[in-house]
Amino acid sequence: MSFITWQYFLFLPLIFVLYWQLPPRLRLPLLLIASYFFYACWDVRFLALVLTTTVIDYICGLSLGGRRLKPAWVLILALLPGAWLGVCYLLLTSWGQATPLLIAVAGGLGVAFFAIHEGVWAWGGEKRNKGLLILSVGFCLAILGFFKYFNFFVDSAQNLLGHMGLQANFVLLHIILPVGISFYTFQSLGYVIDVYRRTSPACADFLTFATFDAFFPQMVSGPIERGKNLIPQLEGVGIFQNSYVHDGLRLILVGLFKKVFVADNCAVIAGYVFDPRTALTAPWAILGVVAFAFQIYGDFSGYTDIARGSAKLLGINLMENFRFPYFARNPSDFWSRWHISLSTWFRDYVYIPLGGNRGSQWDTIRNLAVTMLLAGLWHGANWIFVIWGAYHGALLILYRFVPPFTGFMAKEKKGRGLQWMAAALMFLFTLAGWAIFRSANLAQLGQWFAALGHWQAGAVPWQKSALWLLFHIVPLLLLQALTWKQGDEAGGLERLPWPVRGLLYTALLLLVVSSSEQDQEFIYFQF
Amino acid sequence: MKSLIKPAFVLTVALIVLLEGGARLFFPQGVSGRFDYGYDPDAGFAENADGTVKLFRAGGRRFFPQSFSKERPPGTFRVFVIGDSIPRGPSLQASYAWLLGDELRKNWIPAEAFNLAVPGFGVRRCQIVLDRIIRYDPSLIILHVNYSNEYEDEREWRRTQEFKGWHPRHWLMKLFILRRLYEMKQEQVFWRLVPTEIRQRRAVNDADAEVAASMDAQKMREWSRQVERVTRESADLARRRHIPILLLTHCSVETNPSHGPQLNDFDMDGLGESLAGAGVYHLSMKEVFAGTPNFQSHFTDGSHMKQSGHLILAQAIFHKLQKERLLAGFTPGNLGKTAESK
Repeated sequence: MSFITWQYFLFLPLIFVLYWQLPPRLRLPLLLIASYFFYACWDVRFLALVLTTTVIDYICGLSLGGRRLKPAWVLILALLPGAWLGVCYLLLTSWGQATPLLIAVAGGLGVAFFAIHEGVWAWGGEKRNKGLLILSVGFCLAILGFFKYFNFFVDSAQNLLGHMGLQANFVLLHIILPVGISFYTFQSLGYVIDVYRRTSPACADFLTFATFDAFFPQMVSGPIERGKNLIPQLEGVGIFQNSYVHDGLRLILVGLFKKVFVADNCAVIAGYVFDPRTALTAPWAILGVVAFAFQIYGDFSGYTDIARGSAKLLGINLMENFRFPYFARNPSDFWSRWHISLSTWFRDYVYIPLGGNRGSQWDTIRNLAVTMLLAGLWHGANWIFVIWGAYHGALLILYRFVPPFTGFMAKEKKGRGLQWMAAALMFLFTLAGWAIFRSANLAQLGQWFAALGHWQAGAVPWQKSALWLLFHIVPLLLLQALTWKQGDEAGGLERLPWPVRGLLYTALLLLVVSSSEQDQEFIYFQF
Repeated sequence: MKSLIKPAFVLTVALIVLLEGGARLFFPQGVSGRFDYGYDPDAGFAENADGTVKLFRAGGRRFFPQSFSKERPPGTFRVFVIGDSIPRGPSLQASYAWLLGDELRKNWIPAEAFNLAVPGFGVRRCQIVLDRIIRYDPSLIILHVNYSNEYEDEREWRRTQEFKGWHPRHWLMKLFILRRLYEMKQEQVFWRLVPTEIRQRRAVNDADAEVAASMDAQKMREWSRQVERVTRESADLARRRHIPILLLTHCSVETNPSHGPQLNDFDMDGLGESLAGAGVYHLSMKEVFAGTPNFQSHFTDGSHMKQSGHLILAQAIFHKLQKERLLAGFTPGNLGKTAESK
């Protein structure tokens, strides 16, 4: 179920009313059922994968916290995903013949996990903790790797061998990418690592942990929450406050505006420019990448706002994921404003463990490069994302070590003119990054860059399309100007005088409705 | 504790209610049938207290703005042309309806001719217009019969039904002001600012559906039978009211590499001939243009005509009216009231 469907706008109020009407002890089960239902609307079978991640990280987290579950319980929980597939097999008539095999594989994996877990538990001490961490990370990454990267690596290996003159015909599997797998896997992994590091307590209640892993507002596209932020909120008994409704609805309205009005309309131009059939000229190439910059920003930050608003209606605060990213003055600033939950995840669980910037200059360069390559690969099984990650890694290195870019890294306030210049330069770098990100392959990326040299008039005039783009970008920038001082993209509206807010809400609502039938799926679902 | 309802929210709701109420109160004409996409029988017609009827763009009927008296002036030959974008023409003055009026008056016949053609209208929606204009005492109805708009008719019928239904998908759009805003954005901003090339590529689903339907032999047979049935009903409708009706069957220009440009009537001439009889006349566009040298030069594309093509057709209709003695009761005399264009 997507946030911009009518189904969601029936689902959310229903859950909201039920949640606050039910006695507190029934709220968590309601959230879990609602979350699983929300996810099952895409594909009910893939709930088995969510369950697998949940079971593995719940058991490992608990064991890391020093609490031993009875082996019988470990086995029962480990067999849950296989059991779910069995239920699906019995109830769904449209399943293929391979299903019994899948059930057997899920059951086998459950038994294997049980056996390894029991073996590791017997080790004791720090060795056990490391073993449990490796078990959890290994299983989760194996699932993610199989569903997201199997064909990519096989295909890449085949190509590499081909270039070396060796013929290889590996089998490519027809694998469907489960929605949101990167998001919930990383969220779950972050929890286990935190428990291992003793920075977060283990969650003892399976229901709470399962809800944490599958919480519907943020499950499929983030923000990638931390256990220490979300689990205590799920455990606590909330008391309804009117401000939940105010803040929640405001966030949802702003999110809809960003997604439906800004992103989907910018997508009209971006889709045309990055269509292989289009003969590009420089104005179109520039228009296309600007359009995509606002499409992806509106799309993803709009999703986050709707997610935060939906959670807020249930009295739960999700972390901020975007903070005026296109006003960043350097790459480091950009990553502290763009997809904050992912960039901090990579900072805390990859960059710092690798040594961060504590070692030599070369160590820092290596750590930045590795982190950004992995962040790129996280976005998708395609070399273009790896290149995009490498590009951002190179930018971070450039700004950190190469003058005069190092001057833009200084945190102290400089002249306003210089700040704007730095922001403009960073925006240009960001645009070049989006050109990489949006290209389907290296050939298309090459064509995009080549088009920048062709300034002659093309077959299709671009001027009106530029107006179309401005028509959708300027309202967003005006909204951002209103909230800039508060430092919060959507929450900042609360501080405006009520007549201004009333007019603004009306305008946002009308703008959303005016574009309401051109809906598109959220870009980040594919990641 | 803060109150649940905040002033900003109240203001938002009040503004929407005011806009909606204002639109319904002050622009009832615009609201009526607005989202029936041509299926509302009254949309686009306004009967004024002074006895005139005004044609305007509403309810999916993009009529050229015209007006005429509700009662036909005595002794005046009144013609209404119904059809799709082809009879509509490049402009009102360049359409064969207007040019026919000129032709008649040039020959001293008091006449008024009105163009009620709307782009994309298939036989079903044309029939609804025909049913409406019968009450204005026409001397002749010209029905331009074309086979190529059945997809549009079906799609717009579906939209009408959808919007009339109570599916949650359309709840917001039940508000006139919101739906109007949505359509305004489409028509005034999207269509004007986004080049056709981009729009065509984006309209994947709709275009795909149309192409798929046009390649589906079963569907085409179904539509062909429908064109035949509805055209027959339309002819009967006029005949029952003793109003002469001229079925002008359309033809397209097809370029054949070996034989050059050819005219193709897609068997509609056969349909026209089969329906011709008492009060129902048939004119084949193919026959008209077959006798015209370099006929393809009068077309802008395979189907639509330039003004010169419309003029040829207007003259052919005039000759047909003479031949069928349909002008017999209208004595050459004073210049009749001309079609008023605003």
